[in-house]
Amino acid sequence: MAGWWQKLRRLVREDEPPADEAGLSEEFKARYLSFRKLLAANNKALELMAEMEAAAGGGRVFGMSFLRARATALGVSVFTMASQLERLAPGKYPGLLPRLKQIQNRLEDILAPAEAPDGDDLVLPLAGLDQRRADEAGAKMANLGEMRNRLGLRVPPGFVITAAAWRLLLESSRLGEEIWRLQQAADMENAAELFTLSSRLRQLIVQAPLPPALEEALERAYASLAQEAGGPVRVSLRSSAIGEDSAEASFAGQYATQLNVAPEFLASTYQEVAASFFNPQAMHYRLMRGLRDDQLAMAVGCLAMVGGVSGGVAYSVNPLDPADRSVHLTAAWGLPRMVVDGEAAGDRFVLSREEPPGVLVRVVEDKQSELVCRAEEGVCRLELTGERAGQPCLSDEQAVEVARAALELEAHYGAPQDVEWAYDQQGRLVLLQCRPLRPAESGHAAPASATPGGSRPEPLLGGGVTASPGSGAGPVHWVAKDADALTFPPGAVLALSRPSPRWAVLAGKASALVSARGGAAGHLATVCREYGVPALFSLGPDLERLEQGAEVTVDASGRAVYPGRVEGLDSGGTDRPGLLAHSPVRRLLGSALEVIVPLTLLDPDSTEFEPQRAQSLHDITRFCHEKSVKEMFAFGKEHRFPRRAAKQLYYKVPMQWWVLDLEDGLAHEVSGKYVKLEDIACTPMLAVWEGMTAIPWEGPPAMSGRGLASVLFEATANPNLTTGVKTRYANRNYFMIARHFMNLQSRFGFHFCAVEALAGPRRRENYLSFSFKGGAADSARRLARVRFVGEILQARGFALEMSEDNLRARVERAAQESILDAVKVVGYLLMHTRQLDMVMADPRSVAYYREKIEKDLDRLAAGEAAPAA
Amino acid sequence: MPDENPISVLLVDDEEAFREALARRLARKGLSVVTAPGGVPALERLSGPPVDVVVLDVKMPDLDGLSVLAQIKQAWPLTEVIMLSGHADLPTSITGLENGAFDYMLKPTPLDELLDKIRDAWEKKAVAEKKIAALRASAPGA
Repeated sequence: MAGWWQKLRRLVREDEPPADEAGLSEEFKARYLSFRKLLAANNKALELMAEMEAAAGGGRVFGMSFLRARATALGVSVFTMASQLERLAPGKYPGLLPRLKQIQNRLEDILAPAEAPDGDDLVLPLAGLDQRRADEAGAKMANLGEMRNRLGLRVPPGFVITAAAWRLLLESSRLGEEIWRLQQAADMENAAELFTLSSRLRQLIVQAPLPPALEEALERAYASLAQEAGGPVRVSLRSSAIGEDSAEASFAGQYATQLNVAPEFLASTYQEVAASFFNPQAMHYRLMRGLRDDQLAMAVGCLAMVGGVSGGVAYSVNPLDPADRSVHLTAAWGLPRMVVDGEAAGDRFVLSREEPPGVLVRVVEDKQSELVCRAEEGVCRLELTGERAGQPCLSDEQAVEVARAALELEAHYGAPQDVEWAYDQQGRLVLLQCRPLRPAESGHAAPASATPGGSRPEPLLGGGVTASPGSGAGPVHWVAKDADALTFPPGAVLALSRPSPRWAVLAGKASALVSARGGAAGHLATVCREYGVPALFSLGPDLERLEQGAEVTVDASGRAVYPGRVEGLDSGGTDRPGLLAHSPVRRLLGSALEVIVPLTLLDPDSTEFEPQRAQSLHDITRFCHEKSVKEMFAFGKEHRFPRRAAKQLYYKVPMQWWVLDLEDGLAHEVSGKYVKLEDIACTPMLAVWEGMTAIPWEGPPAMSGRGLASVLFEATANPNLTTGVKTRYANRNYFMIARHFMNLQSRFGFHFCAVEALAGPRRRENYLSFSFKGGAADSARRLARVRFVGEILQARGFALEMSEDNLRARVERAAQESILDAVKVVGYLLMHTRQLDMVMADPRSVAYYREKIEKDLDRLAAGEAAPAA
Repeated sequence: MPDENPISVLLVDDEEAFREALARRLARKGLSVVTAPGGVPALERLSGPPVDVVVLDVKMPDLDGLSVLAQIKQAWPLTEVIMLSGHADLPTSITGLENGAFDYMLKPTPLDELLDKIRDAWEKKAVAEKKIAALRASAPGA
């Protein structure tokens, strides 16, 4: 990349202005094209900055692809401005491009993809793992290693296919690049696009040829696992994402687990589990949490399969109420998967945390089925009949043993834990997973049910299991398949027959969740608690009575569903403050904005208005815009060939305005030194003139008998001239015009105003920008005046930016006619700013003139006001 | 734009579905569109009948978009090139502009925005051609 600045300079200097008139005329056109391009880039840059600032302020979720795309588009726009200015004034601002390069480099450094962590082992045995290697093995497998190697707890033998293996897979066949490209093009907040994108990305991972080095590593690792286990074993493959299971982000159930996998399918199943990195619920979760996908990776744990007699989940505290310090167990016959997936409520045990733990509560469900390993491969559900269905699937001694393990892990990690466990065929306790327990968000945990509202209706349904506390109301929306999810209206009550983690995609949009089955230990319940969405599960077949679209109120804490909206219980909505506030992506956007937005080049007349002092991309845009306007006018003045020279505006008398035609701004060729109003074809200039002259000011001071022409003349007379000091302001009153474009720089009394408008057929590019500053009055009056003008503009749809006595107002992306109407408003205000000073002197008259101005502007908009002759 | 003399566009992208769909949509807007599935065929095509504007993908398996751009600017300096990329990468985009790309746009781009860019690029080319003609006319001995 070295030497490109020189290259650019050569490029832009190639075309020196030719001396003859025909060449000069073409050069003038080319300059106008450059100027137009600069203005369009300026517009785009301002829009992008506003969009990024809005994203930082909240109100939308976004991921790394949003950030990269906006930053790149912004970089392109600002660079375009700088290079077009260089084109307009070759070599005149030598500090500009190097300074821009420095700022761009700073931005690049901030947004650069995260460095890959150390370690290039594709596979690591569990025997060599502990928490310190979470960067390579993922938190889940690193924790399992920690349990085995540091605490001496029983875990299955196994190994982990590391983050380095994931990176190798992505780098092979340029998969990674393709994945970024697809993500950039998709709108992930749109559920339909998210599902399509997810399926495409997963296919890419599954279909990618496995790099030979990885294939060999897998074979070797499996051989030593079989040796350790004493023969060929089936395995389970579990996702162990990097960045998963940290206290900040629990990732509950976002990824795949494959149980009872035969060795010949090890490699292909690895790819399937790795592909679940792009499960819709995982992608949605990352977006909601603002995680940096470029810092995440997917490791996969491979463990000898434990064909459990019973299994389940242990929470070292009450997940619904962290103040309740008792240990909570949920257990099922067969594999613990039934409980983890939230399929079954399971038997529930509550134990005290003393030593030894005592069983406080034992709830034994009538269990309908169990999940077991099939002889061939995979798992299957068996109906439970006879005695076992009603028997507790844990003895009290076993419950105590599990509770002890949970408490030991809590003591080791220093925080409440969520533990998955199983009893194997030999009756030994085996631990399968352990992660920090994220208690319910407190926002919705208010026990609304504790206040016995007098006018509460009879509940439609009662009972069930509180999976996430709180309450919320909305229309019922049943979801059983993806198609139902696409039509899910934000704020609805999500109704499910079983709480599959798949529907976590919708949890962030729902006001509440209800499910016929499932319990508080499932993944979906965990996600609900994390998002602060109330959820009431295990409501049984009666749930089907809820009709699609019917308005209901779910009181998850009070375990009841009411018809209609119940006051006091319907507050839970889709507003989830704080979910993204400190997310990695938002922090990154914050740092990026520090080199993008702050404006330090404020005063173009100051000697400090130079590119070397630019601190942000915004500064560069401001500098380039300001200078480009000057350069355009200077060129028109310096090259006095008759067709293109700036001409003095003649309106009854010669005015203090000069008009420079950039392209097609005049209706016909104009010879001589004056240009008259009827010569003008520029629509924004005609509009601003209409605004200035349509309604004469009625005082104070009263319009003198000298007529409008003299008022106009006076308005632009330079106060500095009256003191005999000729300054550079003398030549600052001018219109630069084209057919649909106008740039007006002018003094009105003591104010300096700039109006720039593009009102062409391309609605997307249209804009009006108005800035207004200065004025000879004390600061209180200046501020009052700026506020006064600002309020009027804001009421008419302008976007405002005010600092001290500066005001900048913009209208963007509007139709031609709307822009011209806005230009008229500005014209009216320009003409009356002088008088406004006097109004401001008397606060009592402010309200009166405010009303009068509003009326005038309404007349102007309605086309009622006849332009003064 | 006058229909009898439409803007001629060469659309270069290795993703066939995208390329052909975009070509059809641009043609429906009155542009004369030819396509090339990669950098090498694009350069071959440019040696044929003249092209006003090239819409160029950045990542292509046969020849990188930036190298294609450099070769176009070398051999056909008046032909304008709009980079249209799926990759949001700041350094690549700046390098593209430095090497003479008219603009660097990110996919997905609304059709009207791309269309306006193509027209602007065409206009720049037309002005540059006229300027050169004026220079030739005024050159001594012409």
